[in-house]
Amino acid sequence: MAKFPSAEWLEQYMGKLNSNPNYEDAARKWEGSMTFVVQKDPALDKDAYLYLDLYHGKCRGSKFSLSLDDLPPAQYKYMGPFTNWKRLINKEIDPIQGILTGKFKLEGSMMTIMRFTRAAKEMVATTTQVQTEF
Amino acid sequence: MWFFRAPTIVYGEDALSYLSTLPIRKALIVTDRHLLTTEIPEKVRQALPKGAESLLLGDVGEEPDLEEMTRHLDQIRGFEPDWILGLGGGSSIDTAKILFVLYERPDLTVYDTTPLQPLGLRRKSRLLAIPTTSGTGSECTWAAVLSERQEKRKHELASPEIIPDYAILDPEMVVGLPPEQTRNTAVDAITHAIEGYVSTWRNPFSDALSEKALELIFGNLLSVLKEPGDRSSRGAVHIGASMAGLSFSNSQIGLAHALGHALGARYKTPHGKAVGIFLPLVIDFNSTVCKDRFDRLNLLVPSTVRGTSLGASIRSLFRAMGQDASVATLGVKKDEYFDGMEELVSMAAESTGLVTNPRDSGSSELRELLTKAYSGEV
Repeated sequence: MAKFPSAEWLEQYMGKLNSNPNYEDAARKWEGSMTFVVQKDPALDKDAYLYLDLYHGKCRGSKFSLSLDDLPPAQYKYMGPFTNWKRLINKEIDPIQGILTGKFKLEGSMMTIMRFTRAAKEMVATTTQVQTEF
Repeated sequence: MWFFRAPTIVYGEDALSYLSTLPIRKALIVTDRHLLTTEIPEKVRQALPKGAESLLLGDVGEEPDLEEMTRHLDQIRGFEPDWILGLGGGSSIDTAKILFVLYERPDLTVYDTTPLQPLGLRRKSRLLAIPTTSGTGSECTWAAVLSERQEKRKHELASPEIIPDYAILDPEMVVGLPPEQTRNTAVDAITHAIEGYVSTWRNPFSDALSEKALELIFGNLLSVLKEPGDRSSRGAVHIGASMAGLSFSNSQIGLAHALGHALGARYKTPHGKAVGIFLPLVIDFNSTVCKDRFDRLNLLVPSTVRGTSLGASIRSLFRAMGQDASVATLGVKKDEYFDGMEELVSMAAESTGLVTNPRDSGSSELRELLTKAYSGEV
């Protein structure tokens, strides 16, 4: 079991993502890094950041930090409070509906991301493959 | 948490006359070349409030690209409309939506029209749609389709803010619709209702609208095709098509639209015809995960064409309508189609329809469906 959010969880997630053929297929044309921003809330006392270097269906690298300044700038940020991340990983929130209902925010080129919604779905589906504790 | 969004819908005989009650000072009317040859644009002008000015732009073509959609933007900005009226089929209404965004927010590009960010529209104007076809549903939806000629691609744009403020459903507007457009647009509406009913974002509102939409369309379409001047049946199909639009706008499209958009962009196939070729194949494909839902819808199919499954019934209905059932019947050469297969797969894979389709599908499934679609094989 890996605690979310943590470097250990991110490492396991990266491994699962790189062995997910559905993600590889959906993101085969994707070029762009992404940072998951886990915002503090009553259940998490500090913001946490999970950086992913994503390229053509693979995750080439990742880094966990409690400070955004420690991470390379990412083309996309997907942000939400910890409790909503927990619900997302537990499949209680759809990642796109999560944005539309204000539970998450997305920064980056909307035009590009709208062409890769299936890749986004597979990224979230992959989180459920990590044995996670909160 | 989720939403149900809809315009104010004015429907039935004489619905067009409601225009005269709206606080319209300057109306931009966006329509297509074909409609300009009819009395309809003038009827709309006549229905505006007394003293209202109007600017009629009547050169929207089929499946317009961005350049075609926005060629009059400077003129529109100079006219300063307080209402933008989309009059026509999906292309005209979608063009009105795009012009609405760019007129309201000159600082945005059309590609900013996504549901993922607020647009802040309606500072200068409001949006109204008067469909003259019964199928696109655009008068009720948050979607607009933009063709990209060079890339041979269709962009699916969407935002809750481009749902028209008003949709006017007047049977008079569709009574003269030619048979082929009647068939193609009805097939589009049927596809909206079925895909909205099984979408992963489906909800009680979209369920109810899909069921009623299909009841109205299935129950009246064959009559409309036999007697095109039958206003009662026309009116029922017209309302059904808008209900189907409301359903999918609040629950989303699926694989038939993803594949249909790809085919339409590459071969300029009319939208309804394109999605209709894929619909029965996609129903069969999805049946492994939502057969119970399809069985429920199958009960709504008229007994004269009902088969043992929804896929069989749709094939039977389309045959009765004389609707194309395969890519081959469109005149697309087999070699050309299969040589371009990977582009079709790639385009379809980028559609949001894949995400909300009830059964997961990747490149291999898309390839399989596209292969079957060439001959329409079961």
